[in-house]
Amino acid sequence: MAMAPPTESVGTSRERSAALRLGRLLLSEYFVLVLCVVYVAAIYPFVPEIVSREVAGNILSDMMPLLVVAIGQTFVLIIAGIDLSVTAIISMSAVVGASVMTGTNGYLGNSAFAVPGAIIAMLAVGFMVGAINGLGVVKLNMPSFIVTLATRMFFAGAAIWYVTFHSTSSSIANLPQGFSVFATGSIAGIPYTVIVAGLIGVGAHLLLSRTRFGRWVYAVGANPNAARISGIPVGRTIILTFLISGLCASVASTMYVSRMQTGSPITGENILLDVIGAVVIGGTSLFGGKGKIIWTVFGVLFLLLIDTSMKLLGASLFAIYMIKGSVILAAAVVDTLRHRLLVKR
Amino acid sequence: MAKLLEVEGLTKSFFGVTVLHEVTFSLDRGEALGLVGENGSGKSTSMNILGGVHQPSAGIMRLEGTDYAPANPRAAMEAGIAFIHQELNLFPNLTIEENLFIDAFPRRSILPLIDRAQIRRRSEELLAQVDLAHKPSTSVSRLSQGERQLVEIAKALSRNARLIIFDEPTTSLTRPEVERLFAIIDRLKARGIGIIYISHALEDVMTVCDHVTVLRDGHVAGGGRTSELDLQKIISMMVGRSIDAIYPERTVKPRPDVVLEVTGLSQPGVAENITFKIHAGEVVGLAGLMGAGRSELARMLFGLDPFLHGTITIDGKELVKPTPQKAMEAGIAFLTEDRRGEGLVMDFSISDNMVLASLEDMAGALGLLDTGRIAKAAREMGASMHLSTTQVDETLVKHLSGGNQQKVVIGKWLRRAPKLFILDEPTRGIDVGAKQEVYRIINRLVEDGSAVLLISSEIEELIGLSDRILTITRGELTGEFARRDFDREAIMTAATGLAGSREAAE
Amino acid sequence: MKASNRAVLMVLQNAPYVLFVVLLIVFGLMSDRFLAFNNFRNIIIQAAPIAILAIGMTFVLLIGHIDLSIGASMYLTASVLAIYLTGLPWPLGLLAVIVMAGVIGAINGAVVTRLGVASFIVTLATLFVLRGIAMWLSNTRTLMFPDPITDLNRTYFLGIPSAITAFILVFAVSWLVLHQTPFGRQVYAVGGDPEAARKAGLPVQRIVFICFVIAGICAGIGGFVSITQIGAVGPKYGDQIEFSAIAAAVLGGVSLFGGRGSVVGTVFGAILIRTVQNGLNIINADPYIYPLVTAAIIFIAVAIDGLRTRIIERLERRTIRPLEAQ
Repeated sequence: MAMAPPTESVGTSRERSAALRLGRLLLSEYFVLVLCVVYVAAIYPFVPEIVSREVAGNILSDMMPLLVVAIGQTFVLIIAGIDLSVTAIISMSAVVGASVMTGTNGYLGNSAFAVPGAIIAMLAVGFMVGAINGLGVVKLNMPSFIVTLATRMFFAGAAIWYVTFHSTSSSIANLPQGFSVFATGSIAGIPYTVIVAGLIGVGAHLLLSRTRFGRWVYAVGANPNAARISGIPVGRTIILTFLISGLCASVASTMYVSRMQTGSPITGENILLDVIGAVVIGGTSLFGGKGKIIWTVFGVLFLLLIDTSMKLLGASLFAIYMIKGSVILAAAVVDTLRHRLLVKR
Repeated sequence: MAKLLEVEGLTKSFFGVTVLHEVTFSLDRGEALGLVGENGSGKSTSMNILGGVHQPSAGIMRLEGTDYAPANPRAAMEAGIAFIHQELNLFPNLTIEENLFIDAFPRRSILPLIDRAQIRRRSEELLAQVDLAHKPSTSVSRLSQGERQLVEIAKALSRNARLIIFDEPTTSLTRPEVERLFAIIDRLKARGIGIIYISHALEDVMTVCDHVTVLRDGHVAGGGRTSELDLQKIISMMVGRSIDAIYPERTVKPRPDVVLEVTGLSQPGVAENITFKIHAGEVVGLAGLMGAGRSELARMLFGLDPFLHGTITIDGKELVKPTPQKAMEAGIAFLTEDRRGEGLVMDFSISDNMVLASLEDMAGALGLLDTGRIAKAAREMGASMHLSTTQVDETLVKHLSGGNQQKVVIGKWLRRAPKLFILDEPTRGIDVGAKQEVYRIINRLVEDGSAVLLISSEIEELIGLSDRILTITRGELTGEFARRDFDREAIMTAATGLAGSREAAE
Repeated sequence: MKASNRAVLMVLQNAPYVLFVVLLIVFGLMSDRFLAFNNFRNIIIQAAPIAILAIGMTFVLLIGHIDLSIGASMYLTASVLAIYLTGLPWPLGLLAVIVMAGVIGAINGAVVTRLGVASFIVTLATLFVLRGIAMWLSNTRTLMFPDPITDLNRTYFLGIPSAITAFILVFAVSWLVLHQTPFGRQVYAVGGDPEAARKAGLPVQRIVFICFVIAGICAGIGGFVSITQIGAVGPKYGDQIEFSAIAAAVLGGVSLFGGRGSVVGTVFGAILIRTVQNGLNIINADPYIYPLVTAAIIFIAVAIDGLRTRIIERLERRTIRPLEAQ
């Protein structure tokens, strides 16, 4: 059956090209970056300090852990899932890692292996929770949002409980001096956290765009049936994305712990909204099959710009909470509209 | 007295392609009209127009003398036309009586509560009319397919249907259930309800229907009173004169070595004791009507669906508990019949689709994918198939025509140089040029020594390309034809599963 | 093959009941205080708010959606009640809460049906927005409720404690609606097969919308009953309570995939969860493990639902020949 294009009535060509251009802008790679620039320009008269070195530096250092988590979340979103347990992974990793390296009865405390051992333990936590999430989705046919909500509840509670075995206070302190270097130190003027986040970002980008696994991730997200028939191991791919998300959350946890110099069970508690918001604003679709690391980078930047500008404007914490909630909703609505637009094209 | 239904000159075009040409038929009250034809003959389109799903491009319909032109399915329903589809529209999580009244529950006076007594009573009456012995409070999930179908008929009766259309009603029914259905249909006819019966089971059509209309390529190819026709005549009308297509000359003969050997393949509800072989350099065609089990067989061979008994052997090695990966490793390729849903990732580029099944060959430095190599491979494969564009990285497959999309999927599999290529409806919905290309590809494949299992609804195509043709009906192989015995009517007869139609091969 | 599938299905469907019996035995053996009548009465009274919330959640789950904002809705309506409506007699206070929560439900329902955004994202966003508003209104202070409201905790209607009265009323009305009204049966139809429901001419969008409103109303009522029991609300009020509600429903047989389950099962699930918490309390278990136990229960409940659904799908697969030999 030949597909001849249906004849259409010709509207004014100027109208149509304007609509086309808007449509193309909405769907373009750099939409969010443009949004960032526009936002800074719009907000500048009210808070000129936003372009100051100090503020920019703060945005950068706040951005790194959030970016790492968001990078992991991007993988999960591309396969049309979601990982709501990342905050709990951060908390659990934090307390486990602290319990290993703390000078006060730490498992490897005061030894040369304290810090490396702690880091390995933290990554192991991320791996384990990621595995539980992935297996729940693939083997037990559980929707990803519920599995990750359940693991979130479990490990957030577990983190608090864990601390009671290792400290008389509500967190585990007395961490090795060496570890704080991670958050504060830099090499050639570039903070370590930026280097680590940068490496992870580049690695994730290469993984998604230049490896076999990356193609699998996009295929599974866009069309799991076609993926299966093409011989792609769908289940394994899904589990791996959750593992990646878990590990990224652990890495972010190391950054937080290093900065705060204590293992607290409420580490990273409030960043869930920021993570999901950033990834979706960046352009990765909740429907799966689409997403890029660079988009996530822009999304995180945008979110932090809003966050910082609100704080500079003196908005209350609650107003920020509400605005971010609305932004997430707006991003989801835009995502839905984009999805419908693309399906029609 | 006006006829119950008159359809005159019904014509329908989609995107400039005419699929129905001046179709005319009619039906009296209390009569059953059978509608038969090969896949793609226009049966579904005609019924969709009757049911208000599509609007005709030309033609008139009349119900009991009054003009009938439903704008949507609801209008058709209100006019008294009931459609019993193959996929039943029931809610298994509700009871029979709830299903019957789901959109029109009678209430208890002013309260918003369901009048249970009333629906119980009316359901019992309706169920009695279709001879269904269950209590109305039974959950539909407990009913067999045949029983659920009776509930659908009861629903049609509750809406005072004047005309009931049955679309392939007997595919999942046991023989006793089929007999019961026929008895109900007789009862419906006695009440003056008209029946249109669409089915591939020609013997059933002859039993139940008073008239039959045969469609072919969107035209009425013939028809008449079933008392004056016999099966052979009907099959000839279905099959008709062939439009000679050009099938490439084949120079090689099949080799003696066996590539695929299937023995005793069975799966409840899907396949029964399927046994056959395919040799290297051989094209085996699989003929059957829609729903006969061709794609189901293909899916089992490729490891997508499970099977209970039987063995599959490739090149002498048994494929145990196949999965798509194991099948691919053994050298099987599978072109599905749904290229948009299962063959392609529509938002991927041509290159990305082409290499999706052969990514392990695309690694370059550091184990990363070499995009240059991917593009080159895609371009070369595209060129060998005369793909319409060389912009393999920039073009997304959703912007390609059907024929070019199909080439991409085929190219994806050809990259693996398969030993056995299963092609399910490879030329469906693609233009003539692309069809020729597909035929050439099949030829090249077998000349290189691969084996091909070709599934197609076009018998001419199977005849033009195959060395042997197997026929399948309801999951069982019903016939085998060697090239010298190829005969369209004989093959169609075997495909309709009529008794005594087995032909010996070789 | 079919027989073993059905056997597994039966096991999965009855697992929660077996679990309940096991719990009774285990806790009963560990402490004789557990099996006292007073204790069971307390369990039911304490389970009442969750049960009411879970009943509302059941409507939303039945049509294949989810509402993650009911905890935040509880907190916001409670805050408004405590700050602005203290003078009102309790029936009006209850009515105000119901109306507010219903409106919130309507907003959720409107966004889901009109804009087509996934319900879990919509209600997740609503959760944050509502909590934000509530924290701003209350300045994260703990808000106290006046005596007329807290007295309700000790009030009896026809000899039955007020909490249980509320719970019985909500349960009775919801059961009636789901099983004896056209709307209720259509809810099951939409959840069971949305496409078939559309083809049958059912007003799918309207049904979805109303279910979210009902979930909101139940959040209001459940929240109110909870306030009478605890007397004050802080910023953590209602935090993550939606998961207990979901767990109660799923344990009771309501499927996350829609179309299956009943409020009877949901109530059982709520009582089961409360029994676990009560039992843990009585045996003096470490309070820190409560969230772990609840999370584990949710996980198990949803895993059961996932496996059950997979098996049912397999059993309902399309056939081209009769299953039984002829």
